[in-house]
Amino acid sequence: MSIELIPTAFLFFAGAALLTVLPKDGPLRPLVLLFVPILAGLQIWFLPEGNHIQASLLGLDLELNRVDKLSRVFGLIFSLAAFLGGLYAWHVRDSVQQIASLFYAGSAIGAVFAGDLVTLFFYWEGTAIASVFLIWARRTIGAYYTGMRYLIIQIGSGVILIAGVVLLYRETGSIAFEKMTLGSLATWLILLSFGIKAAFPLLHNWLQDGYPAATVTGTVILSTFTTKLAIYALARGFPGTEILIYVGTIMTLFPIFFAEIENDLRRVLAYSLNNQLGFMVVGIGIGSEMALNGTVAHAFAHILYKGLLFMSVGAVLFRTGTSKASELGGLYRTMPKTALFCIIGAASISSFPLFSGFVTKSLVLDAAGKEQYVVIWAALVFASAGVLSHSGIKIPYFTFFAHDSGKRPAEAPPHMLWAMGITASLCIAIGVYPDPLYALLPYEVEYRPYTINHVVAQLQLLFFALLAFGVLMRTGIHPPEIRAVNLDTDVVYRKFTPSVIVLSMRGLNVIWSALANRVQLRLSQIIKNLYDSHGPEGRIAQVWPTGSMVLWIALLLGVTLIVSFVT
Amino acid sequence: MSDQPDEKPINALAALFGLVDRPGAATRIFYALAALCAFLFLLDFTYKKYGYFEFEALPGIYGIYGFVMFTVLILVAKALRVLIKRHEDYYGEKSIDAEEYPRDQLERIEHEY
Repeated sequence: MSIELIPTAFLFFAGAALLTVLPKDGPLRPLVLLFVPILAGLQIWFLPEGNHIQASLLGLDLELNRVDKLSRVFGLIFSLAAFLGGLYAWHVRDSVQQIASLFYAGSAIGAVFAGDLVTLFFYWEGTAIASVFLIWARRTIGAYYTGMRYLIIQIGSGVILIAGVVLLYRETGSIAFEKMTLGSLATWLILLSFGIKAAFPLLHNWLQDGYPAATVTGTVILSTFTTKLAIYALARGFPGTEILIYVGTIMTLFPIFFAEIENDLRRVLAYSLNNQLGFMVVGIGIGSEMALNGTVAHAFAHILYKGLLFMSVGAVLFRTGTSKASELGGLYRTMPKTALFCIIGAASISSFPLFSGFVTKSLVLDAAGKEQYVVIWAALVFASAGVLSHSGIKIPYFTFFAHDSGKRPAEAPPHMLWAMGITASLCIAIGVYPDPLYALLPYEVEYRPYTINHVVAQLQLLFFALLAFGVLMRTGIHPPEIRAVNLDTDVVYRKFTPSVIVLSMRGLNVIWSALANRVQLRLSQIIKNLYDSHGPEGRIAQVWPTGSMVLWIALLLGVTLIVSFVT
Repeated sequence: MSDQPDEKPINALAALFGLVDRPGAATRIFYALAALCAFLFLLDFTYKKYGYFEFEALPGIYGIYGFVMFTVLILVAKALRVLIKRHEDYYGEKSIDAEEYPRDQLERIEHEY
């Protein structure tokens, strides 16, 4: 059987099945986790464009492997990320995490190559179910509850998706996954479903709640797939949908404030991830070729540098047992390599020239400028300064420098260093020489990021913002890192709704028992009164003549006689 | 283990990072940064500026915008913290914030000098 006829996702599922028969110890299982993504990557690289595999389900025609430029670039970066995540997790001997990782990556890649909405739905739910095990694998009470919250929202997104698909099928008679125009309930539902996974504002909180709760290696895997699958789906289904420009802009802005005061660095990165998704959503909303290229390029670069940042913070957690900024500091002394890789990730996400974010984010920014969205553009530039603040400065500075925490952990293990090293090299390679990445993008690219205008403007923005950081630190205005949690929209369903339910239950209880008491009181009063008047000792019983029954029977007899006589 | 004055850098990279952590280094870095910013500002007069918007031609516009907005961001975030900060175990056992990461899943080893 030719490899073209196997959907790429199935390679991952076969790998997951293979894991179950391999010994738990030893290098065979981790090798499968490395080998499968390489095989998948090669398959995607060599597959020609077109629809390769058709199947039929309940009379619906499914397209299992649609390869075009958009799906190919996402398939490639997902495979690459799965490989790097597998390398980073080389030490893990936990079957749950290993199998979940393969199923998760496979589902995400399957969704990317899905040519129809029903196939998309199956893989969409696949990512939800597989990924929650990376949270549960932490095996604590907190992780269990967090995973439940995460799962409900993820599955909910799938349910909304299939509802939209059914309506769309009734409307158009087609389940093809193509560009849609907002208008009917069907398309709104599909957009909402994508929006949940893309962490749109107010739908976002599963991300900041769930990702920090996963295992050290699980968070690295999680950071890649779900949200970028949603970005792919939006780019495929809703390019040029104007509302996304505004949604995306809000997404770039609000997380930077939360990230600034968050103590758990993995949650800071989750907020930062949310902010980066905003840039991609804006690109999709603008919808020009340049903007969509920007979105795809930024997703590609983002998966690498965000993965790198999660890896470096994960390595610190692995060695020290905490990822809280208030407990860390000064780790450069014994973890200098991890520190270096973290700084490279931070420089990439902050879009310093020669790092990957610079050559990708500017495509989106320039597209916004070109279309004369002045407010949007200014907001995005502000958000870029915000990225520098929490991901560029806060993550490396408060972990590896700042005040000495006294912790002297050993350097990260070699396989983690390799994973971080390769990822960091890719971040720099893309930044220095972006042409190979540009060649992968859906549209022809005529863009030169390295013009004097652009470089000086970006350096000014970043270094003046750094200067502001220096001023704020020296004057003591910069907020210190303290142990605390911050409320976000999740407080609505974690605190308010439960307390409203508990309170209203209590209220109902009080009202109910008051009502029941009153009714009971009245009833017993009536019975008592009746007893008093009609009971054996009652007044009425005393005056009843003994022959009253005979009288009543005679009366009844008389009535019967009259009735029978009349009829 | 706490910081010892005779602690030697474990390798060249750590020694390099150590340079920025020496007493007084922060002040020197700050002034170097200020000088760099001044240089970048002046650089704006040396080439023809163009952009999608007219105001992009103003010298140092990106720098000023970056400085002001960064400061605004920090001040707003500080104010936000007053409103939304809660104790670490606010959500109780149903969240991971107040619990320890399971030790058996980690390799918590100290560096051996």
